[in-house]
Amino acid sequence: MPKIRRARAALAATTLAIAGVVGGVEAAAGSAASQPTLVVYSAQGYDHAMVAAFTKATGIPTKLDDNSTGPLLTQIEASKNNPNWGLLWVDGDTAFAGLDQQHLLMRGFEPSVSWDALGKQVVPTDKSYTPTGVTLMAAMVYDSTKVPSPPTSWQQLLSSQWKGDVGMNDPSQSGPTFPFIAGMMNYLGSEAAGKSYFSKLKSNGLVVNPTNGPTLQALSNGQIKLALVQSSAGIGAAIGDKSLKVKYLNPATLLPSCIGIDAKAPAAVQQEAEKFIEYVLSPAGQKVMQSGDPTGDSLYYPVIDGVKPLPALPSLAGVKTQRIDPYKWGGLEASINTWFDSNIK
Amino acid sequence: MRVGVPSAGAVLPALFWLVLVLIILLPCLAFLVLAVSPRLFDQGNSYFTLHYLGSVFTGQTAVAITNSLWVSAVAAAIGVVIGFPLAWVTARTDVPLRGPITASMWLVLLLPSWLPSLGWVRLVQVDGVMYRVGLDLPFVTHAILGPFGVVLVLGIRNVPFAFLAITAALAGLGQEFEDAARVHGASRLEAIRVVAPIIAPAIWSAIAIGFAEAVSDFGVAATLAYPANFSLGTYQLYAAINNFPPSFPTAASMAWLLVASVGIPLALQARALRGRSYAVLSGRSRQIVRRRLTVRGKAIALGAIGFFLLIALGVPALGAVSGSLLADYGGSFTLTTANYSALFQSSALIAPVVRSLEYGAITATFTVVLGYIAARFLTRTKTRATRFLDFLLLAAVAVPSVIFAAGYIMAYNLPFLSHIGINLYQTVGLLIIAYAASSLPTNARVLVGSVSQLQASLQDSARVHGAGPVIAWLRGVAPLISRPLLFAWLLTFTAVFLELPISQLLYAPSQPPVSVAIEDNLSNYHFGVGTAQSVFAVLLALVIVLCVLGAYRLLAPRGWRRIGASHA
Repeated sequence: MPKIRRARAALAATTLAIAGVVGGVEAAAGSAASQPTLVVYSAQGYDHAMVAAFTKATGIPTKLDDNSTGPLLTQIEASKNNPNWGLLWVDGDTAFAGLDQQHLLMRGFEPSVSWDALGKQVVPTDKSYTPTGVTLMAAMVYDSTKVPSPPTSWQQLLSSQWKGDVGMNDPSQSGPTFPFIAGMMNYLGSEAAGKSYFSKLKSNGLVVNPTNGPTLQALSNGQIKLALVQSSAGIGAAIGDKSLKVKYLNPATLLPSCIGIDAKAPAAVQQEAEKFIEYVLSPAGQKVMQSGDPTGDSLYYPVIDGVKPLPALPSLAGVKTQRIDPYKWGGLEASINTWFDSNIK
Repeated sequence: MRVGVPSAGAVLPALFWLVLVLIILLPCLAFLVLAVSPRLFDQGNSYFTLHYLGSVFTGQTAVAITNSLWVSAVAAAIGVVIGFPLAWVTARTDVPLRGPITASMWLVLLLPSWLPSLGWVRLVQVDGVMYRVGLDLPFVTHAILGPFGVVLVLGIRNVPFAFLAITAALAGLGQEFEDAARVHGASRLEAIRVVAPIIAPAIWSAIAIGFAEAVSDFGVAATLAYPANFSLGTYQLYAAINNFPPSFPTAASMAWLLVASVGIPLALQARALRGRSYAVLSGRSRQIVRRRLTVRGKAIALGAIGFFLLIALGVPALGAVSGSLLADYGGSFTLTTANYSALFQSSALIAPVVRSLEYGAITATFTVVLGYIAARFLTRTKTRATRFLDFLLLAAVAVPSVIFAAGYIMAYNLPFLSHIGINLYQTVGLLIIAYAASSLPTNARVLVGSVSQLQASLQDSARVHGAGPVIAWLRGVAPLISRPLLFAWLLTFTAVFLELPISQLLYAPSQPPVSVAIEDNLSNYHFGVGTAQSVFAVLLALVIVLCVLGAYRLLAPRGWRRIGASHA
């Protein structure tokens, strides 16, 4: 009967589908076991372009796990007794310091490049990771048609003139925001002094949004007049809206994008990973970084001599930058974020 | 003789339990054990400690867990209170547009929970849409951006679960029960009161699944509750994992509490249904006679349903539109199609979409087979094994997906497996198995309502007439539950298509599913394009749901469609 034939066909299809899944598992298991491949864990906007360019230039097959920083670090921590990654490439060096302290990063590798002034500031002494670019945290974004005279110092944000006008991100949800908070504590001399500063900012009507997007939206709809966000996000917004301007207050905290090699990866994979880093910092690699995500992560300040930032980036002439010690401040991240959520948000 | 399951002796139950242990129990326990023994998986120094379990009963975590419990209970109740009348009107009356109403419920179900939250925030936030159209209502802002709004959004999300479970049960409930009540002088309302207890399994199933879904939800917890300083358990759990270094033992301790909490609705369910049989669907079930509504009755019914759908779908649409069609981060009313142009000019999205369609279809097929078997076990005479299965499946719903995925890494990325050449972590196979495992509990729950109504006589009669067990099942049982099975397939398909936490942690490198591709844009400041991708993916899922329903209508035998139809 036709009904029965149809049902039999459905049953057969189900069986085939399940068999296909199991077959897929076996096939994947077999291929993974025979030849370890370089797997890049990355949260960078230009990583697709970079992996494709690297494979094309070197012939080394490379796989990409493109995720937000949080899930990538969760994967690394959950799989640390049998890691699957070869390279980690994300913004911020505090996470790398934490991984280094757990001995999860290969130490002692430094690519043969000439660092510029920014690069020299952020290279770690034990060479457990490599900076590939720098953004600043926080950049102040404002609408020049509504704010003709923006503040010129961090202290001015506490004045009544800017009451209710300042917005920033929540460090629990926005990765780059903790380095900003830690940077202010570093600049003001202590954790307590930094907490006092943010408490005063709150008393002056600070608006806290989850991440860069909502904070810039609050600026756009007039809820705030000054948005404190990551420089690449602010500059990207200014490219789309010419009335938005980006200004740095002294000191601005350096937020390096870094790349590190898995200490437990097979030696062959580690060698491929070193070649990947060399390629990223080569002139060809820098071109890929600057063209792969032109309104997002490509808006970074280079760390290599002779590489100029994209024209949209404001000059750093006259801007005082600071680096926070990732090994010191990384260990305080959880407690400071909890304090911020309980007292400032 | 058993009903419904093609006889395969004792092998099938054993195989079924083995599969459950491997795909649900083992990964969940691998993570949950970290609460007391973090050193087992290299996540701490102690082989045994109660420190982490003790810590969740103090401070912010205790507050968040308490919030989760009462919010989930109220949300489950809201789901049934709204879902029951909607289901009754759709299944038992001649209200117009029954097909679109059912399709709309599916749309509510397949929306990711953060989309309604985002819509509400954009609607009522200071200087949001509400204020711009001249409605200066700060008390509404205060109410929505707080516990009331959280309960409202989660409650609305639970309505489709109740609607589908109750609609399926009502559709299998012949007219004879209402007729009997009416013959004995009962009014229409009294007839409903007679019939309602007969579909108690479906109602309790909806309450239990609603509670478990709400207690494990992360989308609303992150986008609506947390920014409003109303912390829920899943957010605290996420924070424990997302802080660096992550505290898996703390997250596991919180997950224990969430898992234990589903014992509450299960205990209530067991108490309410103890010792009763709800098998009403037999070969003699009579076709439903829909109550003919007056014009006024139809207007009232459609008005109420329309109001619900406006809230359930209109607000999320606002969030999506404001995010994807407005150029300046949704801050003005200037419309632009730039984000959609960028979306369709990029070929990078196409491959993830196709991949997720494949993953969804394979997972849904696999899950429906397992879900049906699980539902059969659950509706048998209660034994310790079925009670354990009931708890296991509901507890698995309450386990947040991020825990589930991390548990898969712990369980299937052990060094000894690699030493013998088995590397499952970050393969398509393990991802699909994890999808199936996370979908199975909800799937089985949706099917329980319908499967519990099957009488043994259906398959017995086919066997008496000489059919083998498989043919007897196909002839006697499949026609009656083809529609619930189809809905269960669609539910899993849509859930997998847009699933994020498991995808993020387990996807095979260089083969991202669509949800990871979308998140990639959202997290890299391409907010407009990312939201446009979300809208496109949701619409695509809806189109596929409609195509599958249309194909069923065209291709399935007439008898299959007649029984179990809610809008025939």
